[in-house]
Amino acid sequence: MTAASPAGNSPRPLPAVVLVARREILVRLRSRTFAAFTFVMVVLVGIGIVAASLLNGPAAPAPAPAVRVGFSGGSQALEQSFESTAALVGVDVSVSDISDEAAGRAQLTAGKLDMLVTGSATAPAAAVTDAVPAMAVIALDAATQTARLSAAGLPPSAVTSVMNGVPLEHVKLPEPSSPSESTTNVLAALGVCIVLYITLGAYGQFVAQGVVEEKATRMMEILLASVRPSELLAGKVLGIGFVAMLQLAIVGSAALITVELTRGTSIPALGLGYVVAYLAWFVLGYLMYAMALAAVAVLVSRPEEVAYATAPVTVGLVFSYLLMFVALGDPTNPLIVVLSMVPPCSPILMTLRIAYGVAPLWQVFVAMVLTVAAIVGLTWVAGRTYANSALRMGTRVRFLDALSGRRST
Amino acid sequence: MTGTNQRQLEIDGISKRYGDTVAVEELSFDVRAGELFGFVGRNGAGKTTTMRIVLGVLAADRGEVRWSGRPLDFKTRRRIGYMPEERGLYPKMRIAEQLTYLGELHGMAGRDAAAAALQWLERFDLAERRNAELQTLSLGNQQRIQLAAALVFSPEVLVLDEPFAGLDPVAVDVLTEVLRERAKAGVAVIFSSHELELVERICDRVGIIDHGHLVAIGSVEDLRRGGPDRLWVDAPAAGEDWLRNVPGATVVQADGSRLLVELAPGGNDQAVLQAALRTGPVREFRLAEQSLGELFRSYIEENQQ
Repeated sequence: MTAASPAGNSPRPLPAVVLVARREILVRLRSRTFAAFTFVMVVLVGIGIVAASLLNGPAAPAPAPAVRVGFSGGSQALEQSFESTAALVGVDVSVSDISDEAAGRAQLTAGKLDMLVTGSATAPAAAVTDAVPAMAVIALDAATQTARLSAAGLPPSAVTSVMNGVPLEHVKLPEPSSPSESTTNVLAALGVCIVLYITLGAYGQFVAQGVVEEKATRMMEILLASVRPSELLAGKVLGIGFVAMLQLAIVGSAALITVELTRGTSIPALGLGYVVAYLAWFVLGYLMYAMALAAVAVLVSRPEEVAYATAPVTVGLVFSYLLMFVALGDPTNPLIVVLSMVPPCSPILMTLRIAYGVAPLWQVFVAMVLTVAAIVGLTWVAGRTYANSALRMGTRVRFLDALSGRRST
Repeated sequence: MTGTNQRQLEIDGISKRYGDTVAVEELSFDVRAGELFGFVGRNGAGKTTTMRIVLGVLAADRGEVRWSGRPLDFKTRRRIGYMPEERGLYPKMRIAEQLTYLGELHGMAGRDAAAAALQWLERFDLAERRNAELQTLSLGNQQRIQLAAALVFSPEVLVLDEPFAGLDPVAVDVLTEVLRERAKAGVAVIFSSHELELVERICDRVGIIDHGHLVAIGSVEDLRRGGPDRLWVDAPAAGEDWLRNVPGATVVQADGSRLLVELAPGGNDQAVLQAALRTGPVREFRLAEQSLGELFRSYIEENQQ
C-alpha cells in the first residue's frame, strides 16, 4: 500500500494544507519585499506618531524657572516664611542670603537675581525685575504680614488662623478633558484604519497574484495532481495570512514603543483591548477579502490580468476606505453605523468605530456574525471557482461558468 | 501484494470532447508495471489529453482509468509521477526546496523528501546548484528539474509528456538510463515523444494515436508484422520490368541501383530473389525492416482513408 514511501520508520508526512501554508510563509518571509514593506510601514507609522505628538505640542507646559530671591540684612528672617507661602501659592523660588545691598543690586542688574529684599523683617523693601510673577510678590507680602502680626504680639496660633487661606476645591471637567487628547485619539484611529486598509489591500493582492502565478507558471497542473484545490486554496490563504499577522505584530509593536517614547500618556485607541479587537477585525477582513480575491483571480491565466479580474472586489475595499473619512468626522452617522455592520465595509468601518469608542457591543457582534457568514459563503464560492477554473488556461473564465462548472463554448 | 503481472495502468474506453472537437474517443490500452511504453502521434492527436485524464487534472466524459485493477482516485494518483506538457514549477523557488516540497506533497516525510531531492539533483548533475532559484537555470537544466520533480517521490507509475524535448544528447542518455532503470524496478512508464528513433530504441511497446483513436499498439516487432514485407535488392543489371513475373511485388523506391521492393501479403520473397538473379549479379538482398517512423506514417495514412 505504501510503496511510495521509501522508509517505514519515518515520521508521518504533514497534511497538504500545512505544507502549502509553510511554503508560502518561507518563500514570503525570505523575499526582500517583506523586509522592505515592513520597514516602510514601521517608518511611516513612527513618523505619523511623532508628527502627531509634535502637532499636539508638548504634553504639559514647561515648568517656569524658579524665581531667584536674595534677602539681605534683617529681611533674612522672612526667608523661611516666604518659602513656605510661595510653595502654597505654587511659585517655585530659590532663596539666597545676600551680604550687602550693593552686591545684591549688582547681581540683580547682572540677571543673576530676580528679586532683592532689603530692610528689616517688619519693614522690608524689594527690588524686582520683570520676570517676577505676581504670586511671588504676594508670597512676600504674606510673609511680611505674618512677621508684623508676630511683632505686634499676636500668639503664633492666632497668626496662623489669621493668615490661613480660603480652602479651595478643584473640580474636574468631564472627559474628554482636553482637546489635544481627543485629537490624538482620532489620529490614532485613523492610523490604525490606514494600516488595516494597506495590509488588507496588499496581502489580498498577494493572494490573488499567488493564485495566478500558479496558473501562469503551469505549476497548478503539477500541484493539482497531488493536492486538492480546496487544500491548495486554504494553505495559500492561511500561509499568506500568517505572514500578514507577523508583519502587523512587528508594525504594531513598533507603534506602541514609539507612543511610549514620545508621550508617556496613554492613548485610549491604542489600549491593549482595542488592539486585540483590531487584530480580530484584521483576521476577519483578511479572510473575507482573500477568499473573494482568490475566487476571481483564479479565473484568469496571466499576471497582467489580475488587477482587472479582482477589480470588483477591490472596489469594496476602496469604498470602505473612502467611507472611513466620512466616519472620521461623524462616526455616529446612521449610514456609517449600518454599513459598519455589513460586509464588505465592516472590517474597516467597525475598526474605526471601535477605535472611537462609539461601537455598542451588540453592533460589533452583528458585524462579526455577518462577516463570518460572508467568509463561509465566499470560501464555498472560491472552492467552486478554483475547482472549475484552476486548470483552464487562456481566456478569462466567466464567473458564472466557474461557479456552476459549466463550460461555455 | 498482488502479482507483478496484475499491476498495470488500464485506460479503459475514455472519451473526451471539447465542444464539437473530439480529443479522444473510446481509447483503451494498458501499460504494464516494468514496461516502457512509448506514446506517439501527431500534434493534437490526443496524447496530452489522455495523460491529463490519467492524472485526474482533466475529467473524461466517459471511461475509466485503473491501477492494479482499481479505479484511480485522488490517493492512488499521488503515486504517479507526472511531467505535464506545459512545464511548470515555481520560478523563484530554490530547486532543492522545490523538489522537497513536491516530495512532501506526495506523502513523503520532510527528511526523506530532502534526501531524495538531493539524490536526484546529483543524478542530473545539478547538486551544486541546489540553492539556486529555478529561473536562474538554463532551459535544459530547468527541464531536468522538471523530470526530477516527477521522480523524486519514487512513483509507481510515470506519466511523462514529451520528456526528451529540449534535452541535450548527454541528458537524453541520462534520462534513457533513468527510465530503463525505473522500469526495471517495476514502475509502469508511459511517455510521449516525437523522436521516433528514440522511442523505437528504448520502448518495450508503442501506441500510435491518431485523431483520438489508437491505430496501433504493440512492440515495434509486432507493428512491423502487421505491415507488408519490404526487401532491399541491389541488382545493377536489372531492367525496367524484371519483376513482371513475380505476383504481388512492386518497386516502391529506388536509391541508385538499390531498389526497395514491397511484397503484398502472401508474396514470395524467394521468387523476387530468383527474378533478381536472372538479371545478373545481385550485390544485396535483405529484408528491409521498417523503422518506427515509416510504420508511423503508414499507419497514419491508413487511418486517413
